[in-house]
Amino acid sequence: MEAEKPTPVPLRLFRLWGVYARMDLLLLTRDLKSFLVWSLSDAITNVAAVTGMLFLAARFRGIGSWSQPQIVFMLGYAALVEGLGSLFFNYNVLHISRRIGRGQLDHVLIQPQPLWMTLLTEGFSPAFSLPMAAPGIGMLLWALPRLTMGVSFPAFVLNLISSTAVLLGFQFLWGSLAFSAPRAAEEINSSTLDLMNQLKQYPLNGTGGLLRFGLLTLLPVGFLAWVPCQALLGMDRSALGIYKTPLAALVFGLLAAAAFGKGMRYYARIGSQRYTDFGHRS
Amino acid sequence: MGLFFRRVTRSAVMKATALMGDSPLFLVNYLMRLLRVVVLLTLWRSLLPTHGTTSGLTLGQVLTYTVVGAAAAELLACRTWLEDSFWSGAIAMRYLRPMGIFLQFSAEMMGPIVLGIACFSVPLLALSPLLGVNPLPANLGAGALFPVSLALAVTICLAIEYLFSGFAVAIQMHPYAINSMRAAVWAVLSGAFLPLDLLPWGLGRVFEWLPFAATASSPLKIYIGSGAPLPMMAVQVGWAVLLWPIAIWVWNANRERMVAYGG
Repeated sequence: MEAEKPTPVPLRLFRLWGVYARMDLLLLTRDLKSFLVWSLSDAITNVAAVTGMLFLAARFRGIGSWSQPQIVFMLGYAALVEGLGSLFFNYNVLHISRRIGRGQLDHVLIQPQPLWMTLLTEGFSPAFSLPMAAPGIGMLLWALPRLTMGVSFPAFVLNLISSTAVLLGFQFLWGSLAFSAPRAAEEINSSTLDLMNQLKQYPLNGTGGLLRFGLLTLLPVGFLAWVPCQALLGMDRSALGIYKTPLAALVFGLLAAAAFGKGMRYYARIGSQRYTDFGHRS
Repeated sequence: MGLFFRRVTRSAVMKATALMGDSPLFLVNYLMRLLRVVVLLTLWRSLLPTHGTTSGLTLGQVLTYTVVGAAAAELLACRTWLEDSFWSGAIAMRYLRPMGIFLQFSAEMMGPIVLGIACFSVPLLALSPLLGVNPLPANLGAGALFPVSLALAVTICLAIEYLFSGFAVAIQMHPYAINSMRAAVWAVLSGAFLPLDLLPWGLGRVFEWLPFAATASSPLKIYIGSGAPLPMMAVQVGWAVLLWPIAIWVWNANRERMVAYGG
């Protein structure tokens, strides 16, 4: 009997995204009340998250060297990065410390596919996350015709994906702490994500050398909007401008892979003391 | 009275020690909050003129507002996370304890607050001169009225907390949806991060009448000596008197409908 040919990886990924998209839609639309409350709360949350900076931009007709449309573009970009993170890495993939800390990584490990494939697909959540991306798209559409120069679409897409990758890498880097400190670090990704989301909307031009260095390395919030938007809007004219964020994504991806790999080796020996036989964390 | 006090302090201590957990990693949260303050201070310095005022506020006042707002953040936005216990199912066991539900959660809330004051607020205020910020109140009167206004703010915050918890029971929704929406709206309307006076189109004058402003903007404005303190405190008293009966009514009307998820 001839063995069944394995499904090509890209096709398998699309099939899995399709499965998770359907499950996500079913969860959201299980009743009208859930649908309305979730959609409304996400829309309000995301509009409110950038409203403060929008108010400041309106009040001061821009912020520092950034004009009003440039600030709105940056806020839209930042909101879209958050939206993309939620779109592809929802259900505690972006909050990986929760899964690790609660012993729920076992749920991923028993699946008949590589770990990376599960983590790349399991958090796909278009129904819940599209309302989160909508305000960002709206702001970009408002800002684009008002900018004095055009924005390269390929460079925009490259940087947008890279910014999301920086966010994901940073989350996995910190989240890996939960391998060795499952209880203390279970919620560490909530803190890191909150901080990234809160700080990503600020233009960092006025920050001093040491602080700026910290905001591009230890806490790479600058790569979520400020660095890529400066390059896309022609404010950073250096040759490497549009490649800075992709390079940062590569570095943070490698660091996260190393930290997560080390954590997995520890997990293989120790397991999780928080996963009890009735499935609830202690 | 002694027993009551012991129950409250024990609950607070239990929650604080649980937060400290098995590792000093909880301190990372405070480092991140400090970073946020530093970025906000930089933003204000890049926006506001060094001399003169903007909407009646000097740069120094706004910087003090930011630092004191961050130092008192856990009191200005106090959370008991009562509604989370519906979702986790932990609420069921709470009814077996010899304390009222509100009292249990309010007492537990104090644990992380005291821990935050010790680990973050005091060091931040002590370090603020190094950040170029004067942490002192505008004058003696402001310093004396601030704790009163802060206590009123906590009272209103708790009323809002129980009001939302009552609604959470009524609509039986995942607390995440309500929490995230509430936190985002509070961040804009309360003036905790962005002084309401600096909002465009006179929005601040509208928002300052809302209960959210009474939880953060009022005590902080009193601290920096902006605006008349007594009318602001009168608005705070008004909201406390109005919201508590509503919160108790909503809770009592819905608690029988509570369904505890999880286990």
